[in-house]
Amino acid sequence: MALPVLICDDSILARKQVRKSLPESFDAEFQTAGNGLEALAVLRSQEIGLVFLDLTMPELDGVGVLEAIKAEGIDCFVIVISADIQPEMQKRVMELGALAFVQKPVNEDKIIGVLKQYGFI
Amino acid sequence: MFQEMVCNPVLAALNSGVIVIDDEYNIRYLNAFIERHGNLQLSEVAGKSLFNVFADLPEAWLKRKLMSVLDLNSPAFSSWEQRQYIFKLPHLRPITSSSQYMAQNCTMLPLATAQHEQPLICILIEDATDAFVYQQHLSRTLIELEKANRQDGLTKVQNRRYWEEQLKQEIHRAQRYQHSLSLILFDLDKFKDLNDKYGHLGGDFVLVELASFIGSLLRDSDLLGRYGGEEFGIILPDTGLEGAAEVAERICRAVADYSMLFNQQTIRATLSMGVAEFEPKQHFLHDDLIRCADMALYNAKRTGRNRVCCYQAGETDYHKKAN
Amino acid sequence: MNNLGFSEEQRDCLQEIINVAMGLASDKLARFLNTFVHLQVPSIALVGAMHIPEEFENRYQDAEAALVSQGFFGNEGVRGEAIVLYQMENAHKISALLGYEAGDVSEIEMLTDISSILTTTFLNGLADQIENSLSYSAPRILSSRHGNVADVLKNTSFHWEHALKVDISYQLIDHSFNCDMILLIPGEAVSNIKNILDRILEAY
Repeated sequence: MALPVLICDDSILARKQVRKSLPESFDAEFQTAGNGLEALAVLRSQEIGLVFLDLTMPELDGVGVLEAIKAEGIDCFVIVISADIQPEMQKRVMELGALAFVQKPVNEDKIIGVLKQYGFI
Repeated sequence: MFQEMVCNPVLAALNSGVIVIDDEYNIRYLNAFIERHGNLQLSEVAGKSLFNVFADLPEAWLKRKLMSVLDLNSPAFSSWEQRQYIFKLPHLRPITSSSQYMAQNCTMLPLATAQHEQPLICILIEDATDAFVYQQHLSRTLIELEKANRQDGLTKVQNRRYWEEQLKQEIHRAQRYQHSLSLILFDLDKFKDLNDKYGHLGGDFVLVELASFIGSLLRDSDLLGRYGGEEFGIILPDTGLEGAAEVAERICRAVADYSMLFNQQTIRATLSMGVAEFEPKQHFLHDDLIRCADMALYNAKRTGRNRVCCYQAGETDYHKKAN
Repeated sequence: MNNLGFSEEQRDCLQEIINVAMGLASDKLARFLNTFVHLQVPSIALVGAMHIPEEFENRYQDAEAALVSQGFFGNEGVRGEAIVLYQMENAHKISALLGYEAGDVSEIEMLTDISSILTTTFLNGLADQIENSLSYSAPRILSSRHGNVADVLKNTSFHWEHALKVDISYQLIDHSFNCDMILLIPGEAVSNIKNILDRILEAY
């Protein structure tokens, strides 16, 4: 069965980059969100298995989304995709329950690597 | 192969220095420019520490720059304008430059190396001695130009524009710190007669002689300027009316006793002098103070010349004309 | 705002590339300065270069500001001049982090070092993403302390047609450091950049 996946990034290009980096063999159904608030609206109303989440976004940033997921007990895996890869930031999102941290700009190798590591493919 | 065949002679002929070091600051390469100017051989220094080979390097400073190149993988720069040289190398203008060492522009570049290979930094050294020499000439010229801009061409005392600026500043200071301030305006008596008798060269000679003689009678803080034609002014900071009148009297007598020799002829001259003190409540502009001193000068002339008159509070233009 | 004929997709693409470049730069800076750098989304605007002076006139009116320029040039006709503007107050904060001690180096050297680090780390991150690499001219002080920022900009931006204004704000744990970066770009370089953006957009 296809995995419901949410790609959340304020940039259209970045969303496309994630989509394009995913392998054909990855059976998923995609939805997108342009900021943290849109993402939460989707997460609250539907079952989502995996979220690709950007950190720096308008309205509500990625850290805010992670906090809400944790507070509301929403059940989903989150892979953070960010250009900001400072150790302090990585530590913070991991503490908030993120599964993995991928540095922007993304490419196939990075995405496939992390999907394999956590058994999605 | 072709690249190597071409690049090596080009590097050897380059009129700039090239040094390549690794991340432990050991020399990996240097070109003929550095070999010649530094009087050393690549074969002898390869593998040795940059800081041992060039013992005079500003080590802490340079290490910080090189570290930023390695950590940030971006270039660092140094300009001769801030640091005249990094490497003590002789230059090719030993006669025309006042500096002993080559002025340098340096660029420190990260070199792209394969992963897991030791990172390398390329240091490019450009000879900026010519720019340095031009800059020195330029600064000297600017200093002279500025001086010329303040001086009266003939008498070498301050010119009117600069002298008036000084007067404005002194008035500002006197107001601010509540210091006293006085002004002397003086005029050569019957200058037209001098010109008629000795010619314009003679008249000019008298102006030059007297300006220099009066200058020698003043304190360092007093400011002498040529106000126009045969009229001069002296700004006396921290001096009240009484003190200024004494100075004026002394000058007046000294000039009257002073004889000048021009074309084997002895010339004597006298001065009429007006003195006024700055009054913060009455003088709002420097022009007001000049007008008061000018009125006193007029009175000195009117009452017989070769004398000093002080401005008395209450005198007005109207008075001046009525008398 | 004049968008200089950039399409919405091109603009989005440019913004993302700049965001990522900023992220890479702040990561490098954080490691180099040994502090956490909080990054805000840089706002970008494309404007005619002649409008640049008025944009900055107010912000730097009453402050002692430094303006430092550095030329950059890469493959595929990417070239221009980067100007970093910041308040002198900020310069002293960051110079302490860089390990400069008072009297250590001249103020001018400190200012050119700071600007060069900000400019080259950011532009290198940008170049990496568009598979380009850039060379830089030595940083040059346009003005520090004295002189009117708008006048100095007027004299510089005069030579260029377009400008990409990038508002950058670095927050360094307990010190805040704000600066503005202006990328002045000649007309033909703008179309070269558009071509590069289109190529990236096509790939996705």
